[in-house]
Amino acid sequence: MLSAAVETAGHLGIEAPQALLAGDIGDGKGSRAIYRHLVEKSDEIEASILALHYLQPVMGLMKKVVESLGRKRSKPLLVADAGSMYAAKAAGIATAFDVFTPDAAEMAFLADLRATHPAYIASHLLTSGNEDVASMVESAYGHGNAARVLVVKGSRDLVVENGDILHVVEAPDLPAMEAIGGTGDTITGMIAAFLSAGMEPHQAAVFASRANRTAGEYAHARPDTRIEEIIGQIRPVLREHLRRWSETGTVPKEEGEGDD
Amino acid sequence: MRGLFGKRKDPFDGDGLVLFKTTAGALKAEKVLRAAGLDAKLVAPPLSRRRGCDLAVEVNLLETLAVERVLLDSAVRHEGLEVLSSESARLLELVQVVELGDFVMVKAGNMKMTCERRTGVIANVSGGGCPDIPYLFLELVGRVVTECARPRELGSTLCALLLDRAWEESARIVEDREDASRCRNGADPGSSPDLGQSQP
Repeated sequence: MLSAAVETAGHLGIEAPQALLAGDIGDGKGSRAIYRHLVEKSDEIEASILALHYLQPVMGLMKKVVESLGRKRSKPLLVADAGSMYAAKAAGIATAFDVFTPDAAEMAFLADLRATHPAYIASHLLTSGNEDVASMVESAYGHGNAARVLVVKGSRDLVVENGDILHVVEAPDLPAMEAIGGTGDTITGMIAAFLSAGMEPHQAAVFASRANRTAGEYAHARPDTRIEEIIGQIRPVLREHLRRWSETGTVPKEEGEGDD
Repeated sequence: MRGLFGKRKDPFDGDGLVLFKTTAGALKAEKVLRAAGLDAKLVAPPLSRRRGCDLAVEVNLLETLAVERVLLDSAVRHEGLEVLSSESARLLELVQVVELGDFVMVKAGNMKMTCERRTGVIANVSGGGCPDIPYLFLELVGRVVTECARPRELGSTLCALLLDRAWEESARIVEDREDASRCRNGADPGSSPDLGQSQP
């Protein structure tokens, strides 16, 4: 996520992201340290965008983070993916977030009212076609378990805002991308950078989805491709395509082309 | 929230219910789990969920793997770990297999493991959200699926448990193909495979 955000910010010529990192291979200690830091230092955090990612889903601490940030005069836009998204949904505070980026199974998790982790979603929700994804989106919003904007990642990426499917991104179609670890993380990182450049969340989501797929195409993605190969194509993709994609929408700041 | 002696106390995320036949088992479980640094508290299980005694241990559901490992290592027998808030909730069993040319991807919930068919090498791990998943990626990718440690032996979270389901099916697929290959070549399917043989 971080690398994708750095590459995107570099192309856009905006300030590089800052990161709060802690080591955690599953015991949750590092994650808890991050949650606590965000709570205790919320007054000092001046970020306009906060993207939360591979944190252990600790519902109580996620609630405290969101409450602390909510008391700020200028609340950052909140993006969540991975464990952070699980924690937000399980804690019942999804609507405090501006962007979630679930894949199909995670969309089923958001739609399943009772599940507190994707390991406990009802299995019938996982055998869905595109029409059932739409009903899962409706269910998630109906129960208050979705962020303002969703990017539902799949063979077709759906960009949803407040329950309405605004865009469908389906090209290029690269089935191998689902097998590659990190291809969801790169979307989240690019969204965070685009938001930082002043884009509206739904526009950031569309551009990130398109750029991710196109970077996969440039990298000749195979099931054994590594994510760094795709990240390495983000700047070439943005150089070649972003201005054209922007023609019908908000044009992001592109002061300089960044460093190669 | 500060505890009694000023020590920071995080909110308790539970929802995992470990059931026991005996009170002694529940007491010992709570002790060994807390000694291992895991959240655990003694609770009275709902009547319909009792397995022999009126004491159970509530744990962080997300830490299912870590809890089971500690109890196993401490020789503490239990009668199951369930979701406290939902009696009917069951751990996802469904796996889906997707053929991707020379590779096969097994999906278990939000986790995916992809292996190269011919060699059985784990080509990629994707999905998930718990912090042990990037660690499991580093430990597993590049290894032969039938020769590596299981995700549940290395990981701590429910995501790792789902990846273990994907691993199980991946290993079965690779072993079945190896057996089929040995049969086609007239070898005993129970003998060691020759991974250098090309697959049709």
